[in-house]
Amino acid sequence: MKPDLMLFWIAVSLYGLSAFAYLFGMMAKNDKLFTVGLWSAVAGFIPHIVVIALRWSETGISPFFTISESITFGFFCTILIFLIFKFTNKKIRPLGVLIMPVTFIMMGWAGTLYKEAAESIAPALQSGWIWAHIIGAATGFGAVLTAAGFGLMYLLKDKYTFQIFERLPELKIIDDLSYRFVAGGFIMYGLMIVSGAFWSHQVKGNYWAWDPVEVWSLISWLTYGIYLHLRITMGWRGKRLAWYAIIAMVAMIVSYWGIPFTMETFHSGFRIEH
Amino acid sequence: MFQKIYKFLSSAKLALALLILILACCVFGVTVFRGQEAWEVIFSAVWFNGILVILIVNISFCFFPRVLRRRLTVVSFGMILFHLSFLGMLFGIVYNSFFFFHGTIRLTEGEVLPIGSLASWDITNRGRYFDLSKLKGEISLMKMHRGYVVEGEDKVVAYEVAIGHRGDTKQGVLYITNKLSAFGFDYYRDKEGFSPLVMLHDKRGRRLHGFFIPLQSLQNKWDESFLYTTGTKEGPGTLPFPQDPLVPEFSLQVIYIPDPEKERAGDAVFRMWPLGPENRSDIDFNHSKDGREATGDNDTNKQEGLDETDEDKPIFEGRVMIGEKFPAGKYYLSVPEIRYWVAMSVRHDPGFVLVLTSLWVGLSGMVITFIGRMRRSKKKS
Repeated sequence: MKPDLMLFWIAVSLYGLSAFAYLFGMMAKNDKLFTVGLWSAVAGFIPHIVVIALRWSETGISPFFTISESITFGFFCTILIFLIFKFTNKKIRPLGVLIMPVTFIMMGWAGTLYKEAAESIAPALQSGWIWAHIIGAATGFGAVLTAAGFGLMYLLKDKYTFQIFERLPELKIIDDLSYRFVAGGFIMYGLMIVSGAFWSHQVKGNYWAWDPVEVWSLISWLTYGIYLHLRITMGWRGKRLAWYAIIAMVAMIVSYWGIPFTMETFHSGFRIEH
Repeated sequence: MFQKIYKFLSSAKLALALLILILACCVFGVTVFRGQEAWEVIFSAVWFNGILVILIVNISFCFFPRVLRRRLTVVSFGMILFHLSFLGMLFGIVYNSFFFFHGTIRLTEGEVLPIGSLASWDITNRGRYFDLSKLKGEISLMKMHRGYVVEGEDKVVAYEVAIGHRGDTKQGVLYITNKLSAFGFDYYRDKEGFSPLVMLHDKRGRRLHGFFIPLQSLQNKWDESFLYTTGTKEGPGTLPFPQDPLVPEFSLQVIYIPDPEKERAGDAVFRMWPLGPENRSDIDFNHSKDGREATGDNDTNKQEGLDETDEDKPIFEGRVMIGEKFPAGKYYLSVPEIRYWVAMSVRHDPGFVLVLTSLWVGLSGMVITFIGRMRRSKKKS
């Protein structure tokens, strides 16, 4: 087994350990398991970084184009956001209850699709816009997944009176955090769409062609645009928006990895090149 | 009455309803309907574009009168920029729809075409008020480069193009991420193919007639190999030969089999039928695939007469190397040279500047609003 693939599965295993620690921690109402979950996530993040670095250094081509690479980078950003938040705000200990299982499942799926690093890059991808596009997409996803995590925290604290949930901050604060991450994700999705439009203009001369991936990205953006509209102009708060954030996150996963890589679109063309 | 209309158009609930409606249309456009069907049924439909316009009208009526009455803050400034960007996009799109020009122009290496003549274009599409006199000058394809490398990056193909008008010539190399702009138009790489020079000789070897035939690149769905042949994008076909000014005498199919080692070398396969009322376009793809079914060299070329019971059988069929002659009754045929043809997408979109600028304005608006809200909540806490 190649070192990068071995490290990849080590990362997935540690994320798995983290996911189960969070889930069992919640079921057993045991705070200590959350600590195990957090440090397993940190331990998994190290080989995760090394895998990306190894693939990048192997051919000199940024490893973000195949479905496996795309998921790997998307969850790299997600875990990075999660860890930064966890180490700067220690009050929301069970936050990984949603984030880590999703990361474990998606990274495991990426592992089954893992391929050799590409030796050449399709000419259409040789554009500076790709950086803004990929970073916007990956960090946007990381932000809305974290927002969904806060949504779950809100619902748990609202429903249960166990000590582990009572230690969480007030509902209003959790609600506000979820909103902030949605707003941040909304901006990053905006960056993804705008840079994609400029990229398309550079390559084809148009900025929007109603390609299925473009439409799905618009669906993602509108979904969170409606969230913000409901909150700001219609005054929605709390439970309803918490559910909204969780359901919207499922739509994001379909939009990001379910559609572009299973349908023949402008984006899937990039995949075939490799 | 007017007040009622204004109230309706300036309602925040209408904005939300429109957003949900657009979202639903998009979901239908990628699930129930897909691809071209979605484009025809939803995205290009007047009613859908009408919804988009109503949304922008609603933004103007609903947002601006409210926000302009308030004190200008970081948040409201960001919101103004964000909503203003939608208006900018709408104006850009509408303006562009009146004055745009989109076309596809196809040239073989060495060919010069007058841009102003619509006969030079394969496809043209233009706005109602596009001034045709803007199409001026000449375009020539000097060379198509394969394996074109820029700063260590392989661009695969690049077109070296010159566009001239009244002694002023703009010359450049365009590839997928690099357009060529000249005299108000942008030229983009679209597609390319082989264009063999097919030469007709008499029995004494004298050249009677020759012209470049752009070949289709058809992909075999089974093994993904390519067949380079005369025909249409739907499949292999023939063309009457020789062409104007000579009188056509037969239908000809030409297949080019490139040499994997050497560029512009390889073999040519000729297949000829008696001239029919229509060109053949129903040739079996797999039968003619890479010409292997044709005989291998000059000595063994089939030169049979047409079997009256099998009209599909060619009267002459054979494979020769590039530069060699193929005997076909009272003539010889040859391909002395292989060139490339390229198709370029040519665009003139005067409204795009406003649309693309609006995208950045909108994004800046989002960022400013976000920062403003963060600052505000920090102050509160």
